[in-house]
Formats: sequence, C-alpha cells, structure tokens
Amino acid sequence: MSNLRTEEFDINMGPHHPSTHGVCRLLLTMDGEKVVKVVPYIGYLHRAIEKICENRTYAMCIPILDRFEYVTAMSCNYVFSLAAERLSGIEVPERAEYLRVIMLELNRIASHLIFFGTTAMDIGALTPFLYALREREYIMDLFEMTCGQRLTYNYIRVGGVSKDIPNEFTPKCRETVATISDKVEEYKRLLNGNPIWKMRTIGVGKLDADLALAYGVSGPILRASGVDYDLRRDDPYSIYDRFDYNIPIYQNGDVYDRYMIRLDEIQESCKIVAQALDQIEDGPIRAKVSPNFKPAAGETYTRIENSRGEMGVYLVSDGTKKPFRVKARGGSYPHLQLLPEIATNCMIADLVAIFASFDVILPEVDR
Amino acid sequence: MLEYIKGFFELVKGLGITGKHLTKHAVTLQYPEEKDVMPERSRGVVVLLSDKEDGSLNCTSCLLCMKACPTAAIIIDAPRGEDKKKVLKKFELDFSLCCYCGLCEEACNFSALKLTGKYEYSTGNKDDLIWDVHKLQDVGRDVDYVDKRKKKVKKVAPKPTVSEATDEIKPTQSADKIETKPVEIKTDKIKTDKIETPQDKDEKPKTEGEA
Ligand code: SF4
Ligand code: SF4
Repeated sequence: MSNLRTEEFDINMGPHHPSTHGVCRLLLTMDGEKVVKVVPYIGYLHRAIEKICENRTYAMCIPILDRFEYVTAMSCNYVFSLAAERLSGIEVPERAEYLRVIMLELNRIASHLIFFGTTAMDIGALTPFLYALREREYIMDLFEMTCGQRLTYNYIRVGGVSKDIPNEFTPKCRETVATISDKVEEYKRLLNGNPIWKMRTIGVGKLDADLALAYGVSGPILRASGVDYDLRRDDPYSIYDRFDYNIPIYQNGDVYDRYMIRLDEIQESCKIVAQALDQIEDGPIRAKVSPNFKPAAGETYTRIENSRGEMGVYLVSDGTKKPFRVKARGGSYPHLQLLPEIATNCMIADLVAIFASFDVILPEVDR
Repeated sequence: MLEYIKGFFELVKGLGITGKHLTKHAVTLQYPEEKDVMPERSRGVVVLLSDKEDGSLNCTSCLLCMKACPTAAIIIDAPRGEDKKKVLKKFELDFSLCCYCGLCEEACNFSALKLTGKYEYSTGNKDDLIWDVHKLQDVGRDVDYVDKRKKKVKKVAPKPTVSEATDEIKPTQSADKIETKPVEIKTDKIKTDKIETPQDKDEKPKTEGEA
C-alpha cells in the first residue's frame, strides 16, 4: 500500500469562505487532507484608501480611514490624528487624551472579543461566538451613545475628540468593563480545559520568535511567541504611562497561546479603562483646529499598538490642506504573509485554526 | 484513562456554563416587530430641518456642508437671485454615496442639517436613494433639535412687509426710539441736573419725575 501513488490537486479556499474573515483566496495544493502549499491571493477588498486620502482634507481623511481597519476604527482615527498632530505640533487637551485611551482600549476589547468568537467558531465551537458578540454589543452601545456609530466612528479627530461623552457613559462603561472582565473568566472556564479544544490548538501552528521577527510580525502574535514588545510601552504615545497594566507574554507561539494572550489582554484593557475613568477630569475636549488646517511641511511615521499588531501611518505633508501621501500600515499584512511558512505540511483543519489565530482582517491587508 | 475522565468533566463544566443560559432571557430583539431605541446622537439618515414656528427650511444655502462632505454626497445649486440673496434651487443628497460621517452636520452653522436615528430607507431601486429637498425636509419634520441660530433673523423679518405703508409707520418708529433713550439716560447719568430732553415732549415729564 505504501507505494500507492497519490496525486496532488489544487483547491480554492475562498474568496467567499466563512473562515477567511473577509475576502481572501487561498490557493491550496493538497495531498489528501494534507496541505502541501498555500498561496494567498489578496486584493479583493482594495479600495485605494491611501489614494483617496490624498484628495481629501485632513478632516475628511478620518472617515475614509475608518474603513481601513473597520474592526478597530478608533485606532485608525487615532493614528492618523496623532500623525497630523505630530506634524503640526498641536497640543491635545488632557481630557481628550483620556477619552482617546478609553475608546482605544474599549475598541481593543471589542476586537479581541471578535477574535475569540470567530476563532472558536472556526475551530468548531459555536457557543463562544454568541457569547462574545453579546458582550461586544455592550461596547458598541457605548460607542453609539458617544459618537453615534457602531463601526465607523469618526470620533477621534485632529486635536482631540469630536464629542464629549454623555452623562450616562461613565456608569455604563464601568459596568461593562466589570462584566467583560468576569465573562472572560467564564470563557476561560468554558474552553481552556476542553479536551477537544486543547487537541485542536496546543502545539498547532508553532511560530518561533526568530521567524516572527524576520517576517515583521507584531502585536499579540509576537508576544505569544515570547517577544516582549508592546508599542504602548516601547514607543510611548498618549498617556499610557499613567496606568498600571501588564503586558501578557506567552512562550510557545502556538494557536493556544495566541488565543490565551488575547483573553488576557482583554482583562488588561479592562483595567486600563477602569483606571482612566477614575483619573479623568473635566476640561476641554478639543484643541482649536480649523477644518481646513494645514500642518507644516514634513513627514512622519507614527505607529500605535493595535489589536492586530503595529498600525502605522506614514504621512507626508507639503504644507497644503491635503496630505501629499498617506501610507497606512496594518498588522495583518505580514501575518498573512507568514501563513505559507507555517501552514505548509499541516492538515487542512489546522490551516483554518492557524489562519483564525492570526486574526487577519482583509480590509487591512488590501487597503 | 485518568485523562479521559478529566476531559469528560471539563466538557461537563463547559456544558454547565452553556446550560445556565437556558433559563435566561434572550438578549436579541425580534427585529421588525420589536425595535431598538436609537441613541440621541445616532448617525443615520441625514435630514433637513425646518423652522420650529413657520416650518420653512433652516438652510441658508451657504454650501458649507457640500464642501465638508468627503464623498460628495451633497449637491446644492443655489444661484443668487435678483436681490443678491441665494435661492435654494436644488439640494440633493445621494445616500448611496453618504458614509454617515456627520461632517456635514458639524459644518452647518444654521441647524439646518442633522443625522438622525432613522434607518429604514432601503429600496430596490438605486435612484430612489437620491433624495431631493422635499423628501429630506419631510423626513426631518418630526425631528427634535436644538436651534443654534442667532435670532437676528426674526427682527429683520417685519421690515420688508412694513415698507409699503411708510407714512403710517414712521411716527411709531420714532416713538420707539424715544422710549428707549430716556432709559439709557436714567442708568448712566443719575442725578445730573441737566438731562438731555428728548425731542418728543410727551416723554419729558416722565424722566424728570423719576430723576
Ligand atoms: S454624513 Fe458625511 S458623507 Fe453623508 S452627506 Fe454628511 S458629510 Fe457627506
Ligand atoms: S451648511 Fe447648513 S445652511 Fe449651509 S447649505 Fe448646508 S444645510 Fe444649508
């Protein structure tokens, strides 16, 4: 039997496949159930966001960049605003900084909840998806009450934030953060010990630190491989130095660790939000910035720690009211690049698990 | 063997967590029958607001919203009329372009435009998504808003209607002026003996008596 000749065949996974999280086409060369080769084809979600931004004023760029990475649109708002502020030296009021941190961290929680839900669903557990989206809904409610939208916020602006939080926000936010922190414990009880879950995740898709660094991996995936690197601490921005929080690190770099690190990060973010709510004081929420403001000519690369790794904007200004060049860098692109490296010679079911654990989001890859 | 027993208990534990939810109420709404209450700041359909008293459009055709829109969803045509005032000829909003960013509302200084919590406007025909001024106004009739316009507009308004009967109105206008003048004098120059006498003699005794 052993000398029976098998034939490889090609199969398309995607572009419309529930576990490709958007529209990504993976061209798989299969030998039975074993994946021999993976080639990702990207570009289905290309909207030329960078080019569109070049033809808009700075204020108009922000709603456009909302669509760059729509699961954490607050980060997109923020990184662009920060870049423009750094170019023009605008000072952001204290209260606005706190509001920004609260929103960024809430958005990180929401994004990690989606990760938790979809990864569990891809691996075969449907219930966590329902739970995670239920909890995420509380955060969406908070966003909706503050800025009016659930996904594309257009909230963080150059010089501050667009609106102050309504009165009922603070108590509701405290409650939400406490609930989510508890629920994460419940998620851990639900899945961590589950033998099927463990078999599907432990030791699957191992990524060692050297390879991760070679590919420019960042964010939770890098930290799950044992590299202690978080831009909130290592390239400080905003007021993160005022909060007491840990940066979780895991060593194995497998699917299980990548899943655990995100659950831990949710809890750390909950801590940050709770502290920010305690520390925040009344004050102005936006520096005076004209709608047609013109930053000084120059260039900057500004990066922040997003839920999917390093999110950066390379902004070139020529002193006019429109940016000369906007290059948006998302964490997902290097992560998708890594997939062939890791998923070759594994089972097709593991490929789905690995892909899910990278938490790639395609609009960020295609831009 | 021990592992299997342990694994079995872990599974039961997980099922227990799921089981607890059996007794709880659903968190979802049965949408078309039940509807969620949209928050006040909700950014849905854009509408044009009307004056709370006379029901006319608040829009002054200043074009600021059109210039602020990142997707060019708003098209306004407002040529200047004979009296050099802008006349709103066309105000179209294309909802297939609009991204509900809210920049137009922020740009408008006249409380003329608002993003509302309305959201049910789907249609099978793409052309129906282009709303003209009448539709935008009609949808916005029941929308509550804070009027941030300065109330200048009202005082100016009666003038043109008056202009026809100039002869009759003149005396009352002068009387108005005279009434206000003595009041100023009262506050500024209390106990100065020489109070400037107003032109109209009817007012004179009043000011003297009070001083
Ligand atoms: S909400 Fe934004 S996209 Fe829509 S009309 Fe207003 S400015 Fe334009
Ligand atoms: S900004 Fe307001 S007043 Fe000006 S044209 Fe637009 S809706 Fe009318």
